[in-house]
Amino acid sequence: MSALDNKKSSYIKKNKKVSFTFDGKKYYGYKGDTIASALLRNNVRLIARSFKYHRPRGIYTCGIEEPNAIVQILNEHNEPNARATVKQIYEGMKVDSQNRWPSLNLDIGSINNLLSPMFSAGFYYKTFMGPKGFWKKIYEPIIRRTAGLGKPPKEFRSKSIHQNHNVDIVIVGAGLSGLIAARKLIDTEYDVLLLEQDSFLGGVLKNSNKVEQINNQEVNKWIKETERLIKISTNIKILKNSLVTSYNFTNHLIALEDKFAGKAIDTSKSELTLHKIRTTHTILANGHIERFISFRNNDLPGVMLASSFEKYIHRYGVIPETNPVIFTNNSTTVTLLKSLVDLGHKPVAYVDARDKNKIGKKLLTYLKKNNIPFYFNAEIEGCDGNKKVETISIRKNKNKIIKVKSSMLCVSGGINPDIHLFTQSKGLVKWDDKLITFKPDVPFQNTITIGSVSGNYNYEKTHDEINNKLSFLKPKNIEMKIKINDTNNFNIKELWETRHEKKSNWSKSFIDLHNDVTTKDLKQAVVEGFDRIEHLKRFTTNSMGTDQGKISSINSLGIVSKILKKEISEVGTTTYRPPYAPLSFSAIAGRNTYEFYDPQRKTPIHNWHINNKAIFEDVGQWKRPWYFKEHDSETMHQAVQRESKQTRQTAGILDGSTLGKIEIKGKDALEFMNLMYTNPFTKMKPMTSRYALMLGEDGMIKDDGIVCKFNDKHFIATTTSGGAPKVLADMEEYLQTEWPHLQVYVNSITEQFTTFNISGPKSRDIMSKVFTEVDFSNENFPFMTFKVFNYKGTEARIMRASFTGELGYEIYITPNHGLELWKRIFHHGNVFDLVPYGTETMHLLRAEKGYVVIGQETDGTVTPIDLNFNWMIGKKKKDFIGKRSLTRSDTAREDRKQLVGIVPLDKSEFIEEGQHVVERERLPNPIKTPVEYLGHVSSSYHSPNLNHCIAMAMIKGGNKLMGKKLFISSSYGTKNIAVEVVSPVFIDPENKRLTS
Amino acid sequence: MILINCPYCGERDQSEFSNGGEAHVARPENSDSLNDKDWGQYVFYRDNPKGIFYERWVHSHGCRKWFNAVRNTATDEILKIYKVDEKTPKIDSFTNTLKTPSGEPKVGSGNFTVKK
Amino acid sequence: MWKSPRPKKTYDVIVVGGGGHGLGTAYYLAKEHGIKNIAVIEKGWLGGGNTGRNTTIIRSNYLWNESANLYDHSIKLWENLSQELNYNMMFSQRGVMNLAHNEHDIKEMKRRVSANRLNGLDTQWLETKEIKKLVPIMNTDNLRYPVLGAAFQPRGGVARHDAIAWGFAMRADEMGVDIIQNCEAQSIKTRSGKVEGVKTSKGFIRAKKVAVVASGHTSVLAKTAGVRLPLQSRPLQALVSEPIKPIINTVVMSNAVHAYVSQSDKGELVIGAGTDGYNSFTQRGGYDVIEETVRAIVELYPIFGKMKMLRQWGGIVDICPDASPIISKCEIKGLYFNCGWGTGGFKATPGSANVFAHTVANDEPHKINAPFNLERFSDGRLIDEHGAAAVAH
Repeated sequence: MSALDNKKSSYIKKNKKVSFTFDGKKYYGYKGDTIASALLRNNVRLIARSFKYHRPRGIYTCGIEEPNAIVQILNEHNEPNARATVKQIYEGMKVDSQNRWPSLNLDIGSINNLLSPMFSAGFYYKTFMGPKGFWKKIYEPIIRRTAGLGKPPKEFRSKSIHQNHNVDIVIVGAGLSGLIAARKLIDTEYDVLLLEQDSFLGGVLKNSNKVEQINNQEVNKWIKETERLIKISTNIKILKNSLVTSYNFTNHLIALEDKFAGKAIDTSKSELTLHKIRTTHTILANGHIERFISFRNNDLPGVMLASSFEKYIHRYGVIPETNPVIFTNNSTTVTLLKSLVDLGHKPVAYVDARDKNKIGKKLLTYLKKNNIPFYFNAEIEGCDGNKKVETISIRKNKNKIIKVKSSMLCVSGGINPDIHLFTQSKGLVKWDDKLITFKPDVPFQNTITIGSVSGNYNYEKTHDEINNKLSFLKPKNIEMKIKINDTNNFNIKELWETRHEKKSNWSKSFIDLHNDVTTKDLKQAVVEGFDRIEHLKRFTTNSMGTDQGKISSINSLGIVSKILKKEISEVGTTTYRPPYAPLSFSAIAGRNTYEFYDPQRKTPIHNWHINNKAIFEDVGQWKRPWYFKEHDSETMHQAVQRESKQTRQTAGILDGSTLGKIEIKGKDALEFMNLMYTNPFTKMKPMTSRYALMLGEDGMIKDDGIVCKFNDKHFIATTTSGGAPKVLADMEEYLQTEWPHLQVYVNSITEQFTTFNISGPKSRDIMSKVFTEVDFSNENFPFMTFKVFNYKGTEARIMRASFTGELGYEIYITPNHGLELWKRIFHHGNVFDLVPYGTETMHLLRAEKGYVVIGQETDGTVTPIDLNFNWMIGKKKKDFIGKRSLTRSDTAREDRKQLVGIVPLDKSEFIEEGQHVVERERLPNPIKTPVEYLGHVSSSYHSPNLNHCIAMAMIKGGNKLMGKKLFISSSYGTKNIAVEVVSPVFIDPENKRLTS
Repeated sequence: MILINCPYCGERDQSEFSNGGEAHVARPENSDSLNDKDWGQYVFYRDNPKGIFYERWVHSHGCRKWFNAVRNTATDEILKIYKVDEKTPKIDSFTNTLKTPSGEPKVGSGNFTVKK
Repeated sequence: MWKSPRPKKTYDVIVVGGGGHGLGTAYYLAKEHGIKNIAVIEKGWLGGGNTGRNTTIIRSNYLWNESANLYDHSIKLWENLSQELNYNMMFSQRGVMNLAHNEHDIKEMKRRVSANRLNGLDTQWLETKEIKKLVPIMNTDNLRYPVLGAAFQPRGGVARHDAIAWGFAMRADEMGVDIIQNCEAQSIKTRSGKVEGVKTSKGFIRAKKVAVVASGHTSVLAKTAGVRLPLQSRPLQALVSEPIKPIINTVVMSNAVHAYVSQSDKGELVIGAGTDGYNSFTQRGGYDVIEETVRAIVELYPIFGKMKMLRQWGGIVDICPDASPIISKCEIKGLYFNCGWGTGGFKATPGSANVFAHTVANDEPHKINAPFNLERFSDGRLIDEHGAAAVAH
């Protein structure tokens, strides 16, 4: 009694032997074998240890629904939790069993099974609590160590890709009904995508001999012919190895294609393709899944679903056991029986829970004729054996138990339409009393179910059903004659669990094999009072494993409904959640990771920066020079001090190209600008510029920038580097939705201009050398004005403005000329010791001058008044965004946090940004009761020009605290830093440098 | 993911759009005359119905145009899309054809019909 | 366990919403305020809303004092809750880490660490090498936005979401609270500015006080009483991976690279996604949001590319303009709201329930929740946690 090749099977190409290892031992299989079929071929039955009790487990199914045979693929970055029943072998594959130590055969964790009374349903909730602290220190670490299934993956960098489809019709599943539907749609007007999870078409036709002939041909011929016709058609595309995992709103489907099914992965290529599909109609032809029956030790290696056993025979050409026991409550197992007999074998026993008249004369005669021991009205009480099925106990005639010997037990508890995708699509399902299962009822989207997923188990009638359901698509009329093997009258007796004797603690009857939930757990939870199926699921973890209870979840409803004395339809199902089967993170992520995670925006000067030892910082998507190293050993502090000092002494230049720039044009541009910004622009002279503030309707500062006015119909506004998209979007929103009567057009010109900020006492000299045609004298080019001129045939602008407090200019030039101009400025600037500086120096210099940075001094809770920007508010303006909010009782308070400057009393001390302003010299460590604080330090730098620390802070009633001694907390200890509150303008309060 | 029919570009995935919340909330013209409470209503309060919702969308990764939609927030079905300057459709044109939210059965949490 | 009684004709207090916050409110009303004639009515099943749908992250490292007080009040209750309810909350104080990916993040987080310290919280700043020690599998430098540091709160962690709903329900039931499932609140009845009761799918139930804790549906119910709330209901999604042996022993959250992850005691990676940008009551969000989250996970933890998503689901979160909750009375006498928790209400469950019960019992807020009133949307005294709560949950 052992496994045998099915010589009649066409699937296995016997000439192609493949070797692989399982737990280090070498085995051979055939190309096309799954790990499971290959191991069965080698008589390996023990595959895994179970999740909780570490019980020995084998191969239960032949597909995606597998709850037990879950393995680790060592040579694929240690991939955990691969389904042995799906994953195909290839030469050199290395597979390990999971969740066992030290070995699969001898697993220490199996002690949990003996302790199982402790580990019953919900045991975590009721135990491991006290004394306080024990959970954290003792119980949880132990529980965590024993939990989990596979080991984590290793050294992996994802390389999957995405592919988008927009089609008229998607057919999910290329079994009998899917292929008929596809054939009917050949050369119609529709774009059709046919998706098949396997590497070949045929589905049920390949899995069994339930259908014998189609149109008087052998089924394999019909499949081949159909595939050929589809391939030469112009409108249907087939995707094999592609499993539909998600069915979202508006007919959006996700399918995962395995590009290396049955092959060693080429790590230089994308191993998975995730298909994102939009379709008008979805035809679900995704079949059914067999369910099991609970009995004593229904988890022993050797127990297998009957249809899976049948699948191994026909599809993989391996008879897992020549003389198994078959246990059924329905008519679907007849073909398995016949397949065995046809191959010259016979079951040890055929155990049928149905009574004689339901079984039918035809089958009874067949059993008798072939001399097969059979039992009707009978059930399996349980099975026993050492890590495998050895003895099987059959309960016949209510009480009499007889024992038979076999290493395998095939079980069928009926079949369930695979409604997972249908319910994901939000379709409604209903209970069918005859089929004893849920089947699709009302679709929510354009969804059509055909074949067994629709509850039609009669293959003979599949074609009629499809004709009927697809008639609205006006498909082609084709002749179909389907000849089936044996009876087409599906019948079933309701049976969820058999009556069994209690043998020992080891004896268990499982309802969820994956999560080790027993029928006793489920019942106990109901007895405890959990009468809602969702609570039962959560309390027992039933159907929450990686198989999502595919073979057992309806069974649990059956058992629960019996105890609650309710109909199953009154108990209801839990929600079927996407994905249908575990979906690779790598595939979901696709190529949008690592270098493609987010675009890198670079200015035209980027390469010059790199060549000049710039260190960059990320500002939004932009790469901005943070500081420049003069030599490799220069520290950031040294570089920033040098850049800052140099700029104030001679001149410095900043690449300001990242600054947002928006052009505002139109008849009503002035009115629009007056509404968007706090500042008044009406009296502003043409060709001048102004520092401007933008608020939200809540009165809080959102962005700032410089507004240049050409005339009343034309403005250019700069924004912060990060704020540009939002400012533009806000302007558009107001224009289109609030003030559509205003004739204004706004456009981003950020990329159209490369921007340099040159500042320092020597900047005028340098500019005069670079732009000889422009008059930079103070009278002709005063502070906050700008000029437009022609630069090599393009329009360029120079604005006299400064963010450093020094004499300064902003140059706007077309990007094509950016680098050339930048170099030319240095060519002329070198004699004046022009220094390039980065954002850190920019921040330092502006802090010395008392200028604020949006997002640093402000945090979405700061009004212009808080920053003493009253002068920027156009008080005479009737309206602007956020105006009304400034007078609310809280925003008008005088003790709000206000901007102040801060200097340490001891000039050698340094104030840390983000620390808080308090009135106490010392703080306890740790702090037990909250300490009152006045505010926080928003900016702090060591000023090279003053040679001590200068800081800005937002503190309560700051305006009234000038000159006061306060303290700043420190991250280093309990002693605070004594400081004095001063004006935030540390350099040139009279603006002499700016304006001269 | 909802499919949105931009009146300017055609059907596009929702991820190309940004939602602007309740539609037809006019910005008060004389905000100075409003008290704090009424002004607060404009700034912070928007309708949030379960069912028919008049809302705004902008094709932010497309034509940048704002438009209005009527959507059933209980099912995410878009019932009507209209341009900013088009007439607001009446609510009773939708109430009769409204699909009931599925996914909220009487028992269980899965979506199934109860046997009558 | 709890009984499933038929509703009585009248109650002192009806709590609308049988999630953690609602059941906790009933529990504290009965235990600390001596009110026994209470009903909790729930449309579906206990803990079936956001209580059962969140990623169970618990922390109190909020920027503003008001928030820090509220959330830390909650952590302190969490720390004793298993003992108090005699039900294991599996509160695992494994620490919560918020990653900084740019200079702005660093500044914001260091400010938060300092503010937290002054508020008596245990948040600390970690340098990248310390992060790497705690989470060796994290990709800190070979990614688009490198990890530059983190704010870490060791007392933060995760807990078992069902346990808090069931624990509160059992103990409330023992004190005589009627817990009524499958009972949908359809409207709140008021007369001359006073609450009268709740019209439910099981008939009208009279009540002296009605406390609404219905998360996403709160504003819908409030409207039936003529009360407008500044809430928007948005989809929020989460997902779990298949279980693996322990690999990540703390909770890691990131804003710039939008991903939150922790590993459950069962071994699953529990991952929080972002909210969708539109209102919806479908308990379902866009697939693009899942994709966005997973690619961030793969970016930060390249080996997780080999992991698989096991389940994905959505909830309806009610978001307030300032990203802080409302725990408040309103203009209708006897009507109270506890809502607006946005994406991060689970952590606050016991604390919120505790102060809400105080508010309902005394018709006055507890000093901890006094700032979380409705008036703030008129006077402007917001508690704007967008900076800190942008990394929510």
